[in-house]
Amino acid sequence: MDKKTAVYICTGCGIGDALDIDPIKELATDDLSVPLCKDHPFLCGEEGVDLIKKDIEEEGVNTIIICGCSQRVNYDVFDFGPDKIVERVNFREQVAWSQAPKEEDTQMLAEDNLRMGCSKANDTELPEPYKAEEEYSKDILVVGGGLAGMTAALETAKAGYQAILVEKEDRLGGFLGKMKQRVTMPYKELTDTNAEDLIKSVTENPKIEVHISSTVEKIAGGPGLFSVDIKSNGNAVSERVGAVVQATGWVPYDANKLGHLGYGKFKDVVTNVEMEEMAAGGKIARPSDGSDVKNVLFIQCAGSRDPDHLPYCSSVCCLVSMKQATYVKEQNPESVNYILYKDVRTVGQSEDFYRKAQNDGNIFIRGAATNVGEAGGRLFVEADDELLGEKVKIEDLDMVVLAVGMVPATRPDEIPRIQAPPDTEGADEEGKIEVAADSGFFANTALNLEYRQGPELPTLKYGFPDSHFICFPYETRRTGIYTAGCVRRPMETAKVIDDATGAAMKAIQCTEATAIGMAVHPRAGDLSFPEFNMQRCTQCKRCTEECPFGAINEDKDGNPLPNPTRCRRCGVCMGACPERIISFKNYSVGMIGRMIKAINVPEEDEEKPRVIVLVCENDAYPAVDMAGIKRLKWSPYVRFIPMRCLGGLNLVWIADALSGGIDGILLFGCRHGDDYQCHFVKGSELAEIRLSKVSETLDRLALESSRVQFVEIGITDYDKIPKIIDEFMETIEEVGPNPYKGW
Amino acid sequence: MEKNVNYDPSFAQEVFENVDAGEEIKMCMNCGVCAGSCPLRFNMDYPPRQIFQMIRLGKREEVLNAKSIMLCTSCYTCKVRCPRSIPVIDVMHGLAHYAIKQGILTRRDTANFGREFWNQVYRLGRIDEKDLPRRVFFAAGFIEGIKSTLKYLDMGLKLLLHRRMKLLPERKIKGIQSLRKMLDKAEKMGKGGAAA
Ligand code: SF4
Ligand code: SF4
Ligand code: SF4
Ligand code: SF4
Repeated sequence: MDKKTAVYICTGCGIGDALDIDPIKELATDDLSVPLCKDHPFLCGEEGVDLIKKDIEEEGVNTIIICGCSQRVNYDVFDFGPDKIVERVNFREQVAWSQAPKEEDTQMLAEDNLRMGCSKANDTELPEPYKAEEEYSKDILVVGGGLAGMTAALETAKAGYQAILVEKEDRLGGFLGKMKQRVTMPYKELTDTNAEDLIKSVTENPKIEVHISSTVEKIAGGPGLFSVDIKSNGNAVSERVGAVVQATGWVPYDANKLGHLGYGKFKDVVTNVEMEEMAAGGKIARPSDGSDVKNVLFIQCAGSRDPDHLPYCSSVCCLVSMKQATYVKEQNPESVNYILYKDVRTVGQSEDFYRKAQNDGNIFIRGAATNVGEAGGRLFVEADDELLGEKVKIEDLDMVVLAVGMVPATRPDEIPRIQAPPDTEGADEEGKIEVAADSGFFANTALNLEYRQGPELPTLKYGFPDSHFICFPYETRRTGIYTAGCVRRPMETAKVIDDATGAAMKAIQCTEATAIGMAVHPRAGDLSFPEFNMQRCTQCKRCTEECPFGAINEDKDGNPLPNPTRCRRCGVCMGACPERIISFKNYSVGMIGRMIKAINVPEEDEEKPRVIVLVCENDAYPAVDMAGIKRLKWSPYVRFIPMRCLGGLNLVWIADALSGGIDGILLFGCRHGDDYQCHFVKGSELAEIRLSKVSETLDRLALESSRVQFVEIGITDYDKIPKIIDEFMETIEEVGPNPYKGW
Repeated sequence: MEKNVNYDPSFAQEVFENVDAGEEIKMCMNCGVCAGSCPLRFNMDYPPRQIFQMIRLGKREEVLNAKSIMLCTSCYTCKVRCPRSIPVIDVMHGLAHYAIKQGILTRRDTANFGREFWNQVYRLGRIDEKDLPRRVFFAAGFIEGIKSTLKYLDMGLKLLLHRRMKLLPERKIKGIQSLRKMLDKAEKMGKGGAAA
């Protein structure tokens, strides 16, 4: 595209008071040779926008550089259509609002921002959306036919899309089909499960194709283009789908590990699942002799919230025990139920059912069971009663129910081991190592993905598929594959329904976005995608290994094989590639490198250090903006360069910046680790790992390692930004100016 | 502390059936807000929440003999703060009446005061600030009565000075008969009986 560039400087919002506009205009037209440069006191107003539109029409401007507010605001106002390049230069939050007005340093900051913006605009090309040769499918594959799976399929059908439902058992229903009743809104009484009606509406729905006694043998391709092999009652079926919902549910925690609570030792000690099945079967009776049940004790958190068993809370078993206590009372109003608990956790409105259970006269005892025994054919439980500070004994029990927690179906019983490359640290004699939970080789078989990074979804430490439970709950580490229901996290039926609906909507959204070449979360709508300059690829495999979403496969010769529809456009591969051959039309190693070079580095004797901050666009950049909005002040010597994800960090920038006389480099990325906030899951972690290798570069240049620092910034950390910058500036002052200045 | 106590729901049942506001304790979730709020907590042998748990456990003797149940001053703090809206004070008074009815008098003076207070309201429809203490003081015997009177002499004089106490005996209120009817009816409605 032949670019005709124009720079527009907004002088509103205090920008005009903080900066001398004329020298900036001169910089644009003279030094940066931009043919057109105008200023306006209210650029985002109708008149301002018209000014730009007029230039587009009359002057043929197609590359628009706007110096004004942050790129995070007014993007709709400054949208001039898909055939125009718009580059936003921050003069407001990060200059006028956070720096002293009419100071030389403030002016220099604005000018550098403009230099970087012009350089970036120069390197930007219009992205052409990816279009696969094959036809895109918008059908949704749902794996698992329990409440979550059936709901996802039904919601898909309701929205007008075709669903394919695969269930491994010989009937739909999952755990819902095994329940007597459920507790749901408004949590006052028991409700019927209506499982049969639900199953019927699924099987009779013309838009749902149901495969029972079936498994998914293979999923290849990517969103919009998945080809799925299903083994259905022994027959092979092939389907094409656009997206997948995994709703493979949960299994109860293995009570055989709870011998200390009498399971396996006494017949009348059962799990909550066994209790439910018994109730659904018609009558609750003592398993030992089939006699009537009067006194029942429920042991809550049986194995749950216990580091040796299931370390987390399943959030539903309290409610389940209250439900089952209600069954017992309904069967025999004279019966007495004891509920031995650590904490009662009836989440949200379900507290009302706790009230009901109390009002029904069930006895809640706070404490831990220390012994389960038998005397005269009846059970007894000894416990430490925390509220009374006494040891108590509850006798004459007909049954003891262990409220066991939910284990995601994805979690393997034992950590799988795979063959490691020779000489791997920690490998056993056979050369095998334990698979990490966050790899694609950990989870139990459900999807059989033909992905280089493994056949299943990477999981979190307890085996739940990796997703961000607040920010993007349904997303997984595999684009176009969404999880729903108890495989994602333990939840009760009401939440399962919401969850499945949400995941189905996400899946549909993904097929639609993919069909027009758009990215899904978190860069929803992005049309760019990474392009590989294959001639120079050394087959180092870094890109295929580091892509957090498993987007890149490998061909038989070991060449990377990108799957653009699986790509989230984070740029992690771009940062990983040592040959720097991966780039986007509007984002590349060269582009950022040239932005860094565009910064004007004053001579050493001017005593004006220069620091660049590579900022993650998702959380850190808004935090910096917020600091500006709050009028916090920081050093005028720092230059912010936004990045899609810090995982795109390429070490060459650091080498280039330092050899170009930049005194220090700060990296602002998201929190990583167990409570990560990285929108691309692994990006900020990878950036930090890469950074650990930067010492070589620094040693080579004989520079201090303190010149490069990584800082985790959450979106709420805006108030810390001035302090972080100031402290870093002090460090830079201590180590002194970069000796490479002026080379 | 190797003594095991057995959970026995029969006392809880007894409380639900016979104590005013007794079934309310079913809803107690032992959060401890009442205990933390009670200004008399430090004089109590068991805080309210613990009394409630002891009822569930079946500790009949300990509960009915607890000082706590007779110490409640009806400040209402617990009732206002209880997240489960349990009228804690009603339960405490209910338990006190029930205990007295069972012949358990853990705090005789408190019980005497309560009885005299009630009798006076029933008789006059109001409290006579001289007569009530006199009766309470002398209920314990003549010598004790003199001692207590001297002890509170100062307060009595101040009350007189501020015209909080009249020298002449209080008279019955108008419509005392209607009041008595109301009180009789209330007594019948309660489980424990107000004038135990
Ligand atoms: S829901 Fe209740 S029983 Fe279940 S793990 Fe949580 S606290 Fe324990
Ligand atoms: S690393 Fe990011 S940009 Fe690269 S292929 Fe994977 S998802 Fe796409
Ligand atoms: S990181 Fe770069 S050089 Fe290595 S395999 Fe990928 S594309 Fe090739
Ligand atoms: S405040 Fe209410 S719920 Fe909490 S312990 Fe006291 S009585 Fe029970």
